[in-house]
Amino acid sequence: MSERPMIDRYTWYETLGVYLGLLVFLSFVLAPFVEGFLVSLKPLEHLFSSPYRFWPEDGSFDAYFTMWEHVPLLGRYIVNSLFISTVITIVVVIIVVPAAYAFARFEFRGSGPLLGMFLAVNMFSGAVLLIPLYRLMRTLGLLNTYFAMIVPGVAFLIPTGIWLLRTYMLRIPRELEEAAWADGAGRLYTLRRVVLPIALPGIVVVAIATFIGAYAQQFIFALTFNSKSEYMPLAVGLFSFFGKERVVWNELMAASFAGILPVMIVFVFLQRYLVAGITAGAVKQ
Amino acid sequence: MSQLTLSRLKKSFSGTDVIKGVDLEVSEGEFVVFVGPSGCGKSTLLRMIAGLEEVTSGDIVIAGKTVNDLPPVKRGIAMVFQSYALYPHMTVFENIAFPLRVEKRLENDIRTRVEAAARVLQLDTRLEQKPGTLSGGQRQRVAIGRAIVREPKIFLFDEPLSNLDAALRSDMRIELTRLHKKLGATMIYVTHDQVEALTMADKIVVLNAGRIEQVGSPLDLYHRPQNRFVAGFIGNPKMNFLEGTCTAANASGVSVDLGPLGTINLPRAGAADLVGKRLTVGIRPEHVRLGSDGAFAMTLRPGIIERLGIHTVAYSQLPNGDTFIALFEGDPVMSDDADVAVSIVPADCHLFDAEGQAVARPA
Repeated sequence: MSERPMIDRYTWYETLGVYLGLLVFLSFVLAPFVEGFLVSLKPLEHLFSSPYRFWPEDGSFDAYFTMWEHVPLLGRYIVNSLFISTVITIVVVIIVVPAAYAFARFEFRGSGPLLGMFLAVNMFSGAVLLIPLYRLMRTLGLLNTYFAMIVPGVAFLIPTGIWLLRTYMLRIPRELEEAAWADGAGRLYTLRRVVLPIALPGIVVVAIATFIGAYAQQFIFALTFNSKSEYMPLAVGLFSFFGKERVVWNELMAASFAGILPVMIVFVFLQRYLVAGITAGAVKQ
Repeated sequence: MSQLTLSRLKKSFSGTDVIKGVDLEVSEGEFVVFVGPSGCGKSTLLRMIAGLEEVTSGDIVIAGKTVNDLPPVKRGIAMVFQSYALYPHMTVFENIAFPLRVEKRLENDIRTRVEAAARVLQLDTRLEQKPGTLSGGQRQRVAIGRAIVREPKIFLFDEPLSNLDAALRSDMRIELTRLHKKLGATMIYVTHDQVEALTMADKIVVLNAGRIEQVGSPLDLYHRPQNRFVAGFIGNPKMNFLEGTCTAANASGVSVDLGPLGTINLPRAGAADLVGKRLTVGIRPEHVRLGSDGAFAMTLRPGIIERLGIHTVAYSQLPNGDTFIALFEGDPVMSDDADVAVSIVPADCHLFDAEGQAVARPA
């Protein structure tokens, strides 16, 4: 007999159902990645062959090497992407940590409506505000700078960060801070020595979510506010593979994969924090 | 000289009065217990002394100095919280050292003091562990350790044993009493458990609905409760209350007609105007005796009998429907729904007037 508790035991058809469900879901999510990867392995002329074949015959990793020659700035694009996302993440964490603590602990007039406003900002996608933002950037002479891509990114990611971290901090027992206060520690000392170490998993979650968010949303800001190729992030830089007559699909896909690789690696290392943070009953009383 | 004085202390939260004027004197080295039902304001009162809650009006004076507006650390107090409030990411050593680190003491000094505290609390071998790996009793001791390293004048405990199981609780009770003897410091202890109050306190403060009902030694409260609330709150099982009417009263005795139970004469200095008033006679279950040779005989018919070996508790119904509890030594022969003859000695009885205040005994 299995060692599982009664509530976790399934019949064979229930187990089958669970795995079938997983299969459908995962194929739906992962199919584009698989197809993208297969395309990156095919020679270009095979892509337009008819009938279309999914499996690459005489496939090779050539595209992964030739792409650097066709688009010399590709490395720069990837570095730009990482740079923009990293700066956004650092700025967001620096701003969100004290803000979330204040919303979690201090009672001040307007804290409820302010939180509501932050939630409302989340409901706008950045796209709705692109034109006013563009005019603003142009007036301030900020177009075609890293700044123009970083600041809107920060602004749109702060609300999520505050909501995430505030919820986490609300779970830290107030008595811990009262104990520190009774022992003579001031607010900042308590924040540094007691609250932040306990909130660390929550802060890591915010950082990861922000980084991923920044990586995903930089496309739209970069496209609108920047036209200098040396500042382009990868998502915009990929347009270089669109030639006058044809699109170099295999290299385009190869470049996409090369671009997400660093993020994937970071994510693999940090995901245990993500899980720990989300499931946190981590704070022992 | 009193070390801590509370005078006309009041506290209200958004218009609701929680503490309604408390006056209290605590001498140096005393073990004072605040006891009362939940919501009586005992924890709020402690938190006000600690400096965690603001004072609405009145004064808190510690060692001759009004401390109303001082932060906890400047009041010379240390507090042990109900949830222990240990820092989960620090070792036991760092937890105990926390107040010393705040004071920016030298590393050597910190080490000496933490190790001394750990020896007192038998935590020497646990210093490098995290609180998460400790048992409830050990965590409690770490919390106490954090309080004693600073050598405060007054220790405040907020229901420190309520998260422990029964066996551990009685062990920790003894340890705390021992610690009090050893340190000789003033301790103020909040609990809703009257056993903790009776066993540990030099002085018990019974609180009810934001007011002090009575202050006294444990035996004082047990033998001479000043009102019905204290009489019912202190003692387990609870005191029985018999309602009656005064039929005669003079300087040496009061007669109370208890209806179908008969008339009982109590040695009390009753004023003559008591005659005709409603009175309540209180009798503790342990003062009910088997047999009818006492001065006031009753017949009980126990519906439920609890036999605990050391004593036996019988629950019977009175003619008016109230439950009457009697507690006998050992395990006397008696059975459910069979009459038992018992008696009460009037000197053991308590007497309360219609307002619930005790009627004075003859001088």
